[in-house]
Amino acid sequence: MKRGSLTNLIVYSIVGAVLFIIGVFVFRALVPEPPLSEVEQARAAIAKARDLQSEVYSPKLFREAKNNYDSAMAVWRSENDRFILSRDYARVIGFAEIAEKKADDAVRNTISRSKSLKNTLESEIARLNREMASFEKIFLSMPLPQDVKKKHARGKLLIKEAGIDFKKERYVDGNVKITEANEYISGTYNLARKNLEEYFKHYSDWQEWATATINESRRAGSYAILVEKIPAQLHLYQGGKKKYTFEAEFGSNWLGDKKSRGDMATPEGKYMVTKKLSGGGTKYHKALMINYPNKIDVQEFNERIRNGKLPADASIGDLIEIHGDGGKGGHWTQGCVALKNSDMDILFKYVSKGTPVTIIGSTLTLEEFFSSREKL
Amino acid sequence: MKNRIFLAIATVAVAALMASCAKVPQEALDAAKAALETAKTAQTDVYFPAEFAGLNDSLTVMLQNIETQKSKSAKDFKAIKVAADGIALKAAELSGNVEAKKAEVKAEAETMMAGAKTLLEEAKALLLKAPKGKEGKAVVEEMKNELTVLETSLTDTQVLFDGGSNYMEVVDKVKATTEGINGIIAELKAAMEKAGIKI
Repeated sequence: MKRGSLTNLIVYSIVGAVLFIIGVFVFRALVPEPPLSEVEQARAAIAKARDLQSEVYSPKLFREAKNNYDSAMAVWRSENDRFILSRDYARVIGFAEIAEKKADDAVRNTISRSKSLKNTLESEIARLNREMASFEKIFLSMPLPQDVKKKHARGKLLIKEAGIDFKKERYVDGNVKITEANEYISGTYNLARKNLEEYFKHYSDWQEWATATINESRRAGSYAILVEKIPAQLHLYQGGKKKYTFEAEFGSNWLGDKKSRGDMATPEGKYMVTKKLSGGGTKYHKALMINYPNKIDVQEFNERIRNGKLPADASIGDLIEIHGDGGKGGHWTQGCVALKNSDMDILFKYVSKGTPVTIIGSTLTLEEFFSSREKL
Repeated sequence: MKNRIFLAIATVAVAALMASCAKVPQEALDAAKAALETAKTAQTDVYFPAEFAGLNDSLTVMLQNIETQKSKSAKDFKAIKVAADGIALKAAELSGNVEAKKAEVKAEAETMMAGAKTLLEEAKALLLKAPKGKEGKAVVEEMKNELTVLETSLTDTQVLFDGGSNYMEVVDKVKATTEGINGIIAELKAAMEKAGIKI
């Protein structure tokens, strides 16, 4: 090879190499910068939102953040499929920025919502526990339907489950349970209260009957019996003054007047002792038969039959007594008033045929009754 | 000399060409995704939620890195292959651990359920001896109702347990039921003690 040609080759090679290097630099400078930092910031923001459970507390914002991130990635992938110099990452950056913003919003919203749900759950658990305790103090001994009592018990269990969710910081689940518990607890409370309010609509009648009975006892200087269902007591009056008070037990469906045979209700009204039974005359230690049904009971019974409130073949019932064998701690009779045998012995001693027996709901007003139970 | 110079230029050109044409390690990537799917099916998200979320994050980061490399003129997917293999390995490991964790939680749930059933029987027995003074019968009735509800809840929990879908949930439910039964037992014992009834 000639010296000149070799020199030319070297020069060309150097020039070529320099041009190549310059070309590489120019080429690299022309390649658009990938949107890594924007996409990474969006990812990190979404991860933070997820760690704070934004999926649960701010599902919409979190979903939007994720969708925008997915769009950013999809656009990035499609831009990368294009010729390197004609790629444009502006839309990727746009989606990534929206994703980051939505994720940040989700974080803020999650923090405030979880705080608010936590507070709500805490206060609802406390409120329902109070309401539950109040229900038990007031209505525990009331003859409520079995399903109402079961609903109450179900509500009680749900409060416990909500309490576990609260401890585990699962405020959404806890709030779902406490809402359900509220339906059970408040539902049964309101139903029981409504029943009681309905019952106490007869308060003026009760007051009138009780006053008349006591006044009559005072006027005649005689004995009279006043039976109160709330609280469950029997009072023996002499000359208008209370001489004895005994705990009493009634029919299992005692809240309300007796309407027909077999309704397990204890009648309400003004009666008198018609017969004294002891020894083999009664299976309940001693008994005082009363004149149920009286004229008013019969009238009301017939009225109910006429109105269709009772079936045509219903019968009014009879053989209502004040008898012994009580003290069982509940309301168990078929409509009679039961006393402990020792109390029955005392009562039996003072009462004779013709002694007035007045059975009422309560001498307390509804408000007085509520406040007396709340104090327990 | 001339040959050497050509060789050098050719080497640089081939190297540049090879770098720009590096391939995404698709197989490793698919394996990582499949391993994560398997982990999810195995309920890793239920029993190891933080670890599962971490793996998903790693996958997301890896997908970002793939696009980053694809955006470059000189691509290098070696690190991505390593990451994909790591994810697949960790996901498989987690899937394997789920069974052990599940068995552990299942045993805990089983023990708790057996304990709750024993407590329920104890409560029922105590209920028979409960004092029946003033309003006593009403209280006993109320407790009976509660025990019925708690027993139903235990039956429901047993169904959940038999389904085997989430033993964690079973544990929480039994906890609440046990708390309820214990409350009744404590109340009964206190009432019996007060009434002088031997427990």
